[in-house]
Amino acid sequence: MRNIIHKMMRKVFTPLPCGGAGGGSFLLLLILSLVGFTSCNNQENGTSKVVLNEVLSLNKNNFQDDYGVHNAWIEVFNKSYGTVDIAGYKLAVYNGTGDTVIYNVPKGDVLTKIKPRQHALFWADGEPNRGTFHTICTLDSIGGNWVGLYDNGGKLIDEIEVPTLEADHSYARLDDANSKWVVKGGDNASSYVTPSTNNMTIEKNEKQEKFAQQDADGVGMAITAMSVVFMGLIILYISFRLLLKPLLTFLQWITNKVQLLLKPLAGFFQWTKNAIVCIFKRKDRNNKNNLTETMTENQSISKTESKEEEVYAAIAMALHEEMNNVHDIESGILTINRCTSAWNAKHLMLRK
Amino acid sequence: MGEFINFLGNNLADFWTYTGFANATPGHLIMILVGLFFIYLAVAKEFEPMLLIPIGFGILIGNIPFNTEAGLNVGIYEEGSVLNILYQGVTSGWYPPLIFLGIGAMTDFSALISNPKLLLIGAAAQFGIFGAYMIAMAIGFEPSEAGAIAIIGGADGPTAIFLSSKLAPSLMGAIAVSAYSYMALVPVIQPPIMRMLTTEKERLMRMPTPRKVSHTEKVIFPIVGLLLTCFLVPSGLPLLGMLFFGNLLKESGVTRRLAETARGPLIDTITILLGVTVGASTQASEFLTMDSVLIFALGALSFIIATTSGVLFVKLFNLILPKHKRINPLIGNAGVSAVPDSARISQNVGLEYDPTNYLLMHAMGPNVAGVIGSAVAAGILLGFLM
Repeated sequence: MRNIIHKMMRKVFTPLPCGGAGGGSFLLLLILSLVGFTSCNNQENGTSKVVLNEVLSLNKNNFQDDYGVHNAWIEVFNKSYGTVDIAGYKLAVYNGTGDTVIYNVPKGDVLTKIKPRQHALFWADGEPNRGTFHTICTLDSIGGNWVGLYDNGGKLIDEIEVPTLEADHSYARLDDANSKWVVKGGDNASSYVTPSTNNMTIEKNEKQEKFAQQDADGVGMAITAMSVVFMGLIILYISFRLLLKPLLTFLQWITNKVQLLLKPLAGFFQWTKNAIVCIFKRKDRNNKNNLTETMTENQSISKTESKEEEVYAAIAMALHEEMNNVHDIESGILTINRCTSAWNAKHLMLRK
Repeated sequence: MGEFINFLGNNLADFWTYTGFANATPGHLIMILVGLFFIYLAVAKEFEPMLLIPIGFGILIGNIPFNTEAGLNVGIYEEGSVLNILYQGVTSGWYPPLIFLGIGAMTDFSALISNPKLLLIGAAAQFGIFGAYMIAMAIGFEPSEAGAIAIIGGADGPTAIFLSSKLAPSLMGAIAVSAYSYMALVPVIQPPIMRMLTTEKERLMRMPTPRKVSHTEKVIFPIVGLLLTCFLVPSGLPLLGMLFFGNLLKESGVTRRLAETARGPLIDTITILLGVTVGASTQASEFLTMDSVLIFALGALSFIIATTSGVLFVKLFNLILPKHKRINPLIGNAGVSAVPDSARISQNVGLEYDPTNYLLMHAMGPNVAGVIGSAVAAGILLGFLM
């Protein structure tokens, strides 16, 4: 088995004929490129950390701002598990008439850092002089509104068409960061308007309550959990009992395939390298009189020669020792004399 | 002059109110005695000295009485105090995974790889956890508390701390001390159960020498182990991830320095911090409750159940195994993950009956399987109850 893996590793990491970069380095480069490509791709299609979460366009008796005024508001939510600074983000509102009004979230205010799974509330009061969270935007309480959120790179990360709402009713995600939007404003616990708090209030641990009700004696948990523990370790057992050999064979197969794939690429790199060398040679021909070429050739020849010389020297030495009988004659008896040192001295030991 | 003497007298009286003597309660004294008992066990009996010395001394530190209203900010439960900062590693749960990193870097999984069916003993012994869970539920603990208490049966201190910090932070001190105490008492708890459940013939049973495991298998094991167990129970990732990572550092053969750091200075540092802070968390006011007494009782029960289920499982397993592949039931106790203590118990009890029957190598298989099993079990409890 060790031989297989050694062979495999050697095949993967054997320097390619292209000289400079080894196959291993090339493979590493290839993998890193793939990872980079994949992550770029993810970033483009991925969802943002901050989303629009709830909008209230007509505020009569709802939440008041710091000035004691009832104004329309827009809530954003950091759905990630890390703090996000929304300084430089843009909040845009379009209500069907005129231009889209864009508010740049100011930089330099520590309050723009939204903690994990927390909210920030922006007042759509058209009074940006009142503070970071008072925007130049206003919401149309009669018609609908389009609200967009752009990141500090100017990329649209979230948008929502807010329908016409009754007074003190909000248009909100069913739960924080949920994809479903609903109108909230009733007396039902799931339809409260919730500025700066969770859209759905969690009052109990459903999992624990379920266990307390349905599995009061713990037998269900014991059976389920023991099944999972056994399953996990049985899978591990099967993997090592039955699948190890096929796995190694598979690895070998993959290695061969990679090697086959790399061959044409190696050829391509060799060709590219030769082409570049040729170009440089032409450029330098007039000035250096083919000095580079000669040096390169000399170096490679000297390297080969030095290796060959070492081999010849080793063979000559072996022949000399054999023919002239100059080997040491050893008794074959190994004697170890006990001696005291700091390593075995009892008084220096940590324990008795 | 009289006023000055009065002033001095008041100062001394004030000072007296700050001293431990003025603030001592019977609870503090009881806990100090418990701490001294732990230190005695460690020094005189050599029961898990690496754990009991830090924990025992930590109990002394945590139970020095002081005037909490004086704003000294020295108590472990006072936010911002030095002890409280050190305790963050326990409450936030990052000490246990680092301990697991060290355990991984010092564990040799060869016995398990050469005889993978020993994994099943490690799984069976986890019944100690779920048996204790059922009893805790019957006593009236909430499911999350029952889960946190039950993990004591895994005989795995870091796992117990990790899980209790998530499921029942208020019980963590009692659970941690209970788990480590019973781990130290493995040589007392397990042998009578093993003797009681096995026959003379079974104890003399010899097992075939395990085959030599190749370097490739050792390298593949932590990778495959991580992928399989964590895909099944992702909530066990902090513990299992670090365990297998530490093992790969050891087995890869190319990260010798990292492995040595993980199994040497790093695990020693974390053990010191973990032991002292867990010990210090047993402040009498927080620790001496009826719940703590129940937790200690349940902890003992869970150890007994785990040992029993491990030994009985081997006996049952032998019924379906061919004769030449049968397992000595004395290694069944090693399914609890007190590494390597429970494996050493198998060896010692085996040697009592046959001085040439060395079971240590075989017992290490279920023992390390127990480490994996208890981390998986913790992941399951976390997934279900968090």
